[in-house]
Amino acid sequence: MAKTEQDEERRTLSEEADSLWMITFAGSIWAVHFVVCYGATAAVCAKLGGDAAAIMTLRLALGGFTLLALAGIAFVGWRSWVQWDFLNDWNYEHALAGKEHRHEFLGHASFLLSIISFIGVIYVSLPVLVLETCQ
Amino acid sequence: MLAAPVDKEARDRGAEQLRETWKTPKGFRYCTAVNNSEIGKWYALSAFFFMMCAGVLGLLIRVQLAVPDNDFLSADRFNQFFTMHGSAMMFLFAVPMFEAISILLLPGFLGARDMPFPRLSAYGFWCFLIGGIFVMSSVLFGVAPNSGWFMYPPLATEAEGMGSDIWLLGLSFIEVASIAAAVELIVGVLKCRPPGMRINLMPLYAWYVLVVGGMILFAFPPLIAGDFLFELQRSFDWPFFDPERGGDPMLWQHLFWIFGHPEVYIIFLPSIAIAAMVVPTAAQRPIVGYSWIVLSAVGTGFLSFGLWVHHMFTTGLPSMSLGFFSAASEAVVIPTGIQLFAFVATLMVGRVKMSLPMLFISGALAIFTAGGLTGVMVALAPFDWQAHDTYFVVAHLHYTLFGGMVFPLMAGVYYFFPFITKKTLSKRAGRIVFWLLFVGFNVTFLPMHLTGLMGMPRRVYTYPSVMGWDLLNLISSVGAFIVAAGFVVFAIDLLRPRGRQPFAPRNPWNAGTLEWSHDVPEENWGVRSVPYITSRYPLWEQENLVERMDEGRFYLPDAPELKRETLVTTVLDAKPIQCLRVTGPTWITIVAAVFTGGAFIFPTFHWYPPAIFCGGVAIASVIYWLWTATSQIPEKGKDVRDAGLSLKLPVYASGPASVGWWGVWITMLGDATAFASLVFGFVFYWTAKPDFPPAGTEHAMLSYLALGVAALVASWASIYRARIVNHQGKVATTRTLLVAAPLLAIAGSGLFYLSVANADLDPTRHVYPAIVWAVMIWTIVHTGGGVIMQCYCLAGAVFGKVTPEHDADLWNVTLYWHFVCLTVVVAGLTIGLMPRVM
Repeated sequence: MAKTEQDEERRTLSEEADSLWMITFAGSIWAVHFVVCYGATAAVCAKLGGDAAAIMTLRLALGGFTLLALAGIAFVGWRSWVQWDFLNDWNYEHALAGKEHRHEFLGHASFLLSIISFIGVIYVSLPVLVLETCQ
Repeated sequence: MLAAPVDKEARDRGAEQLRETWKTPKGFRYCTAVNNSEIGKWYALSAFFFMMCAGVLGLLIRVQLAVPDNDFLSADRFNQFFTMHGSAMMFLFAVPMFEAISILLLPGFLGARDMPFPRLSAYGFWCFLIGGIFVMSSVLFGVAPNSGWFMYPPLATEAEGMGSDIWLLGLSFIEVASIAAAVELIVGVLKCRPPGMRINLMPLYAWYVLVVGGMILFAFPPLIAGDFLFELQRSFDWPFFDPERGGDPMLWQHLFWIFGHPEVYIIFLPSIAIAAMVVPTAAQRPIVGYSWIVLSAVGTGFLSFGLWVHHMFTTGLPSMSLGFFSAASEAVVIPTGIQLFAFVATLMVGRVKMSLPMLFISGALAIFTAGGLTGVMVALAPFDWQAHDTYFVVAHLHYTLFGGMVFPLMAGVYYFFPFITKKTLSKRAGRIVFWLLFVGFNVTFLPMHLTGLMGMPRRVYTYPSVMGWDLLNLISSVGAFIVAAGFVVFAIDLLRPRGRQPFAPRNPWNAGTLEWSHDVPEENWGVRSVPYITSRYPLWEQENLVERMDEGRFYLPDAPELKRETLVTTVLDAKPIQCLRVTGPTWITIVAAVFTGGAFIFPTFHWYPPAIFCGGVAIASVIYWLWTATSQIPEKGKDVRDAGLSLKLPVYASGPASVGWWGVWITMLGDATAFASLVFGFVFYWTAKPDFPPAGTEHAMLSYLALGVAALVASWASIYRARIVNHQGKVATTRTLLVAAPLLAIAGSGLFYLSVANADLDPTRHVYPAIVWAVMIWTIVHTGGGVIMQCYCLAGAVFGKVTPEHDADLWNVTLYWHFVCLTVVVAGLTIGLMPRVM
């Protein structure tokens, strides 16, 4: 009896682990993208100085990486949109007790977070588009 | 079943048992209390006291600057005052106040009896108090730190006297308390919710606590890593920030601001959380856009980590790097704005009563918006180059902190006062306080925008009359006294005796959340019985809830064994899984805190033997406390508790079902972040310095290192295996593995040490050997802690505290060792392999 109840925690977690993690995915992609942009720029600027070819390569590489990050976030956004299942019942409150509301709430929250992260990634990438030198 | 009345006799008996179990100690034993209502109150009052101290320093600064060429303060004293004003406001007021209030309120929001680790909160509070008094009193002796609250090297590393050491060690000590409280709060939100309160029904305050707790875990450790390096330089001359020997002061700025910027949001979000509780009550309707607010809280939590370099726009970083941070600084406006709009929308669709708390919230919205707008300005690098280090920035940061933290906090004090003390604060005095603060604040800080734009630099102790800053400064100084008057009126109202004042009504604001089901007059049991929750505003939406709670019709309405208990539920759906026995009053937390204090405070005087002694006693007290009070095996036949409503729950839990496992997991996330910061330092030196590692230098010895890593990984495998075979009931094998594990760990740590110590790596010569040593020391301190824990498990297995059915300690220690194993491998790669391929 006691044992089954203790296993309850692991069962619920594995049941919903996907959607619980999903809340953090979009933000994490933003964070990784941010760190890679900053780290790569710091390394190229510090180690290769103002070498124009290197900076061009860096910008192209970061541009590609940005597209990859955006695609990743879009995928998370789509997955969470499906989990939210808004068009089924037009519910955006999720204020009731019950598995369905909890499930949809997690989808809704991570959908919104994907939007913010998407915008965040675009913001962060703007300097790559316009700046041509380290200084 | 819920509607069936409870027999009156059983009800009274249950109430009597609960009263007896949860009573607060009297007389001089009062200070041994660990209950959240006591600790929270002490914590909040101490933080308020330190705020008043820091406020007095602020006033003295304003007196000095009121007129040109003033000699009221000497330059050195002025430096000490502004350093301590900032440090105390940040470390002794803003963060502790969030934790104090959360410890005080959270169990109320969640219908829990107490926090999951009451003694940890008590330990955190005593650490905070000791550290706070130590740091604050340095001002009285004229030895306070004087290099600014950010302690930039080389100014702070070269500073004479012990001021910098007091800052580093005293505040590191307080950070320990902050992290302890963060762990407590996160586990509280995740595991101590009432049955039925699924994650989509949590009060918004709990969401914010979760986010802010997480931010503390990732923001504070970089500063701890920075403090570690900084103090090694101060005490032993290891040149981490000394450019002459390969170091770089910029590393400190990075580590400091990776902490320092999220810190601003760590302060801001909990206060917004208070607003998220006050606004629906004022509007008398559920909050609009619950999911949007959760998104904004989580989103702000993420984005705020991408802003740290905007404090470093003028340090000469590549402009492309500045661009990333400028853009991220603008992006964080979006989630911040969403929160404010959701509040405004709630107020618009509701029927607002302009209560006193709501007045403060309105003031907060006005001031914070102004601060946010100047924030958008200084987030633009070119504008920042102009305004950097002028009073414009002083104005901006005070607008955000006053609007984002102080005003919502004041709203919270007025709002929650009846919950905390069962009495109300004076409405008339409250209005006077509001107007004094609101007017005084603007009179003080609005002119600073102009003084800043006219070029007045920050942190100058005086200025000549010809600059044209005289009148503006005088106005600011007058305003500061109006603010001070406001706080004096507030303090008098807050602290005046209330013996004869009648009790406040039970739910004076007609709020919908669970904390307002509290008992008036006060009962210490938290809730009479733990309710079943099916809505976000149970007091509005669940009929007869409070009556049924009062009559003990829900869970845990009694305490037949006179043990303090609370419910533990699952993370997502809050299904009850355990009846947790929480700890009661004790001296041991105070003893542990005093000696922990010694371990941090003696090194400021370079008295290392007493510091080591204190550290030893502190560890011993913590072991004693854990051994005697945690993971106690219940007696036979009493291992299941009838919680009421046909719910039978185990009293013992291990692994992910237990709160202890979550506590270790969360603590180790923070610890791993600190280690990652050290590794970041290693990589940083490589990018920033052409001579890292210097040509021809020796490296850590590969053979020793590889063997050491192998032994430590084997130690991890032993403890991991021990947990598994113990569960299978193979007692003898378990003990063999538990003997092998610490022996392997000791051997591995020794080899790890020798790999560095036997190489020709003099840590005072260059930053490369210094950081290799630092990584090595960090690693073996952790393996050392791991050895103590492994021995604890061995003793547990021998003396019957750890059995095949009761293995919580083994689970927790194994979890710790997962992280140690990771640390060891990464450390081995960092100091063994990386320099050879760089």
